[in-house]
Amino acid sequence: MRDRTAIVGVGYTEFSKNSGVSTLTLALRAITAALDDAGLSRQDVDGVACHRVGDSVQAVLVAQSLGIKDLRYHLDLFGGGSTSHQVLASAAMAVTTGMADTVVCWRAINARSEFRMGGTGRAAPDTTEFQYQVPYGYATPPQQFAMQARAYLDAYNVKPEDLGRVAITQRNYAQQSPRAMMRKPLTMDDYLSSRWVVEPLRLFDCCLETDAAVALVVTSAERARDLARPPVLISAAAYGSGQTLFSNGGGNFATSAASTLAPRLFEMGGLTPGDVDVAELYDAFTPLVLLQLEDYGFCAKGEAAGFVADGQTAPGGRLPVNTHGGHLSEGYVHGLNHAAEAVTQLRGAAGARQVPDATVALSTAQPGYVAGTTSAVLLRADR
Amino acid sequence: MTAQPAPTVDRDSRPWWEALARHEFVLQRCASCATWRWPARAICNRCGSFDWSWQPPSGQATVASWIVTRHAFLPGFEAPYVVLTARLAEQPDLLIPGGYDGPSDGAGLHIGGPLTVAYHDVTTDDGPWTLLRWRRTDMEGGSR
Repeated sequence: MRDRTAIVGVGYTEFSKNSGVSTLTLALRAITAALDDAGLSRQDVDGVACHRVGDSVQAVLVAQSLGIKDLRYHLDLFGGGSTSHQVLASAAMAVTTGMADTVVCWRAINARSEFRMGGTGRAAPDTTEFQYQVPYGYATPPQQFAMQARAYLDAYNVKPEDLGRVAITQRNYAQQSPRAMMRKPLTMDDYLSSRWVVEPLRLFDCCLETDAAVALVVTSAERARDLARPPVLISAAAYGSGQTLFSNGGGNFATSAASTLAPRLFEMGGLTPGDVDVAELYDAFTPLVLLQLEDYGFCAKGEAAGFVADGQTAPGGRLPVNTHGGHLSEGYVHGLNHAAEAVTQLRGAAGARQVPDATVALSTAQPGYVAGTTSAVLLRADR
Repeated sequence: MTAQPAPTVDRDSRPWWEALARHEFVLQRCASCATWRWPARAICNRCGSFDWSWQPPSGQATVASWIVTRHAFLPGFEAPYVVLTARLAEQPDLLIPGGYDGPSDGAGLHIGGPLTVAYHDVTTDDGPWTLLRWRRTDMEGGSR
């Protein structure tokens, strides 16, 4: 599959606290923007793919709304952030096998105004394991990831200031992005004095639930070279692995599914962590950034906090991370805004936050504690 | 105050919840390879056997992790409160969440600290249920 497909279009809606419209409308707006960006039209689309957790419009309804008469591929994946990049991986497989020519991938959520994650504003998602959490008042993502975080912080003696540096670094990037929801400078004092949400997570460890949609267009590498934008090749895509917050033969919260997925991802792409110029790492909560720096092989276990403290993830560092501000400061579109930023970086179109000469990018999904799986893509500028 | 939510029990898990209501803590144990398992599953993920029985483990565990919820997200719960994940003594991969029979701010908890199983009879939006409530066993000296 290496380099046989490309991301040729990226589209966003506005990021807001209240979109005022349905998730169907959000999806249609983002998809149309992505097709415009690619120089394609609705008539070019023969595949649709999204993920959702009972909180967004059905994929096929979007296809019908777009007027696609002969839909050749559709994916309507049940899953949260861990499946975000699986949508792209599956679209790439569909194009590689010839099942479809051009697939639009999206995530559309009113995560702030309509369906907040994990039980506020609606019933808890219909997953078997919730019966072992909900009765204890334990069902929301900050709680689930605080449980993971405590074990990680304890295992590697990671301090609050280490998490604060993740939040501050990303806020600094967000100040260079007009799209970002949070652009006000963040100091370590601001971070440390922010209120507890779920210990050991403070307010600024948590992402911004957002109303938004992001769409990406996947087609063959060959076709991509005739389109409007510089092609960004999907060099590798992988999904799977994982353990949950419950018994399943795992049992170590201080490492993640990314540690088993990463080697085959890099092998597929013929790349190594040292080849990656920019990484967009799923960051619903700050500890996930440190965890993934280690589990994707950029640092040894326990060394990510020092890597961030040394400025290696900031502008000019060895590996700029979450250059859009991430879920913490740009907004939370459940993973796909990371892939969109990776594409923008590889096009050299990221303006003030551009990583110079960025050629290879890693973009990742939630590293897999709730559902027990993760997903990721390695992207490469075709030049 | 709204009642706390009852578990949404499924056909695999019902006997586990029914045992808990009798203040019995049981796990499935594979009849073929003796591996303990939880949550309830029809098959042993180690040897593939469908033969098993419910058996009582020792009830001893250690703290794998814990959280202190400071913001009331869910109806029926008043912050702060602790939820912890216990790692059962029988197998290091047996991780079970539950409540905590101790200070609501989790003071004194530490990863690896010893626990024993205890029960908490509660009134839920579906009537009476029994939940797990782990208890520290290293609290002599009045640390509570």
